[in-house]
Amino acid sequence: MENSVEKVRNIRKDIIKDYSSKSLPKTNIDMMVNEVSEFRDVIVKEIYEEAPDVKSFVLVPNKNKGINELEPFKAGQYISIKLTINDIVTTRAYSLSSSPSEALKGYYRITIKRVQDGLVSNYMLDEVKVGDELRVSKPAGDFGYLKVRDEENVIGIAGGSGITPFISLAKAIEEGIEDCNLTVLYSVRTYDDIIFKREIEEFNKKSKRVKFVITLTREEKEGYLNGHLNKEMIEPYIKEFNTILMCGPKAVYKAMNEILLYFNIPRKCVHYENFFSDYKPNEVKTYKLRILTKGEAKVIECKSNETLLVSMENAGIKAPSLCRVGECGFCRSILIDGKIKMVGGVQPKALSENDYFHPCITYPESDIVLKLDI
Amino acid sequence: MTYDYIIIGAGMGGMAAGLELANNHKKVLILEKNSLPGGCVTTFKKGRFEFDLSLYDLYDYGSLDKKGDIRKLFSDYNIDIETELVPFNARVKDLSTGDDFRVKGNIDEFFVELEKLKSGSADSLKEFLRVIKEINEAVEALKKGHEDLSDYPKFLKYLDSTVIDALTDLKMPRETIYRLCFMWVYLGSPLDKLSFIDFAVFMYRLVFKKRAILKNKNIDMALKMINRYQDLGGKIYYHSKALEIADNGLSNKIVKTSDGKEYKCREVICNVSKRYAYTNLIKIEDKDVNRLENARTLAPNGVMVYLGLNKDCSSLGLKYYHYYQFQNLYSTAVIKNMANLYHGTIDAVVPNVVNEFASPKNTTILVLKTTYFDDALEKLRYDNHIDIKEKIANDLIEQFENTFNIDIKEFIEEIEVITPLNLANYTGTPNGSIMGYMRKSYDNAIHRLISYEDEKIDNIHFVGGSSIFGAGVHNAIYSGYFIASKILESEVNDGE
Repeated sequence: MENSVEKVRNIRKDIIKDYSSKSLPKTNIDMMVNEVSEFRDVIVKEIYEEAPDVKSFVLVPNKNKGINELEPFKAGQYISIKLTINDIVTTRAYSLSSSPSEALKGYYRITIKRVQDGLVSNYMLDEVKVGDELRVSKPAGDFGYLKVRDEENVIGIAGGSGITPFISLAKAIEEGIEDCNLTVLYSVRTYDDIIFKREIEEFNKKSKRVKFVITLTREEKEGYLNGHLNKEMIEPYIKEFNTILMCGPKAVYKAMNEILLYFNIPRKCVHYENFFSDYKPNEVKTYKLRILTKGEAKVIECKSNETLLVSMENAGIKAPSLCRVGECGFCRSILIDGKIKMVGGVQPKALSENDYFHPCITYPESDIVLKLDI
Repeated sequence: MTYDYIIIGAGMGGMAAGLELANNHKKVLILEKNSLPGGCVTTFKKGRFEFDLSLYDLYDYGSLDKKGDIRKLFSDYNIDIETELVPFNARVKDLSTGDDFRVKGNIDEFFVELEKLKSGSADSLKEFLRVIKEINEAVEALKKGHEDLSDYPKFLKYLDSTVIDALTDLKMPRETIYRLCFMWVYLGSPLDKLSFIDFAVFMYRLVFKKRAILKNKNIDMALKMINRYQDLGGKIYYHSKALEIADNGLSNKIVKTSDGKEYKCREVICNVSKRYAYTNLIKIEDKDVNRLENARTLAPNGVMVYLGLNKDCSSLGLKYYHYYQFQNLYSTAVIKNMANLYHGTIDAVVPNVVNEFASPKNTTILVLKTTYFDDALEKLRYDNHIDIKEKIANDLIEQFENTFNIDIKEFIEEIEVITPLNLANYTGTPNGSIMGYMRKSYDNAIHRLISYEDEKIDNIHFVGGSSIFGAGVHNAIYSGYFIASKILESEVNDGE
């Protein structure tokens, strides 16, 4: 019989009708997805003081809420905690300071330093107790060592609480999870401010691949370098090929740029973690913020010295967020009207041209209308 | 309020359907779970590089005087994207035979090259061109609803043929068949399963409606589409993940979302696959859908490695826009091999070769893609994901370096690896495959088209790369337009 549309249609029909009418199997990849929320329930298992005003929190899965394991991470990644404090729903991202292998054993550790007037850090340090329930995001972020990209000689530059990811990386190297040599130059105000003192001493005593060099910027003490990071401090650790990983406040990156030029380190060998940078407008003004969300409108006040995300949170709006440094795109909004100042952050050019922005790093310079579907 | 149509997902198909419906003054709402439109047609930034996730060649675009369907649609909707038509520019290497050929310029030059490589090919290639023209005309007639295709004898002759059968029938030498069909990877199924009709339609577009590259990034096109859709009165809500499609009375639907909201509409258009919809959204089992889904095979999924290199492409020795490396050109064997994590098939793109604005001055983007099938990723878990990602990336980079004798590693400034797990998380696509269902046996696009009216479901429609015309951005866009116009047509008929 000659081919015809009808004939082929009937063959298809015949083939399909002989198949099972049972529902469809999911593949193992499908089983891993299907998570409605970005956040997981955990319990605070342990809290200990690392230094004055610095505490570490050990988090384990909250089995009562059906969470039995923690997602693995790569040394350098962060998790974001979601909290409700005085009716304000907010998040904070903290680099994991535990080893990636410990996540497989069922715990994460984050380390938090008190920030003056900081809503979350004060709450975490003063209010949170062992046994409390928390919600945390999946590990995220790009900061860390990549064998295919990086050199074997890795120089870490850590400022203040920027030390946390390097402790994780140091552990990963010691355990053979990552394969490189790491020297961390850790800049901290005073001897008392040093976080992970005991762990750092252990590494310096025992490790063949990991070394920490500490410089105190506001105190002189035997056995420690003194002053801000400079060429002379770094020179002994520079080899022919180097990878530089930096984590700390912007001032550290600025100072480092000059030093790296001096050593002729190519751009491709320098990677840094985005750190929130404070922005101070000339004068503090109050503006109106109109938020269009799924066909509704809300009007609140915002201040020129506060990010639009913080203004929304303070007004009780549950705006989505994760990284809070303009990277992850979770809080992404569209500017409908008004003038804004976005400080840092990364997004493709086409998004900026179409008025997309990240409220987590953006300050108002006039009344604002934005679209953010919540 | 009740919408005329709710579209689940702002991917290419969803947006195209939205544009067609809004253009016809319908009340339309798109629900999108992410915070950006585009689905897989998107862009991410790392360091100073902007990487496009999926779209490098927009097929069926065409020149001003020979417009392809996509160009026509965009001009109908008044969407202005900056494009440039690109000729063939690829290097193809078969590791088993050492076959190493270049495809440059237009189709004539490719055919001359094929004849040079195997004399006696020329006549069959000429005939091939005549045949694909006729087949394309027949498919166009079929899309318009004509069933009597006796004016197109070649279409009827090859309607039930695979690529291998048809080209053999055209007396094309074996070697030439495999060389001509080197792009089968793009269609996602081996030549003894791929319908000749699907292949002919694809090749017709490739030959007569030139491919375009986007001068700006993927996300620019997605934003232009969604902006225009909104200008036409369409609505989109982000952070709105559909959780359920339920009946609302006899003839209406209700869509429930993750934020606890509910939206009413007359009909739902899914820019998710039928499999996703019936496993996740529609709670009433449909035995016919189950039978169909059990009869089909998901297309291969894949891993993509995005590299930002700190040198310009000519100093790196990257001269071709595309590089293809095959274990061998015999596709059936290759696809069997894809059940292994490490195999020899790589499809590489260097956008800088055709677009100087692809990355900053003195840098290059190189994307290495490979494909998996069957059990290759069966052992993928969250706890080995990071490790497997790094191993695959390393393997692909080293293979590419060896095969094409080009140093890559020492120039890597940025790297990102995307796996099916990442894609499944971002888009929800079954098994993380962005190619929908495999074109094979009686489930090629031609068969879905022929059976469209038969298999239609009341008030629920499907668009996108997993729907009627199969994978590929041009197919996804066209499916949105096609399904929307079918819906509008039946609306008119019902009204009469």
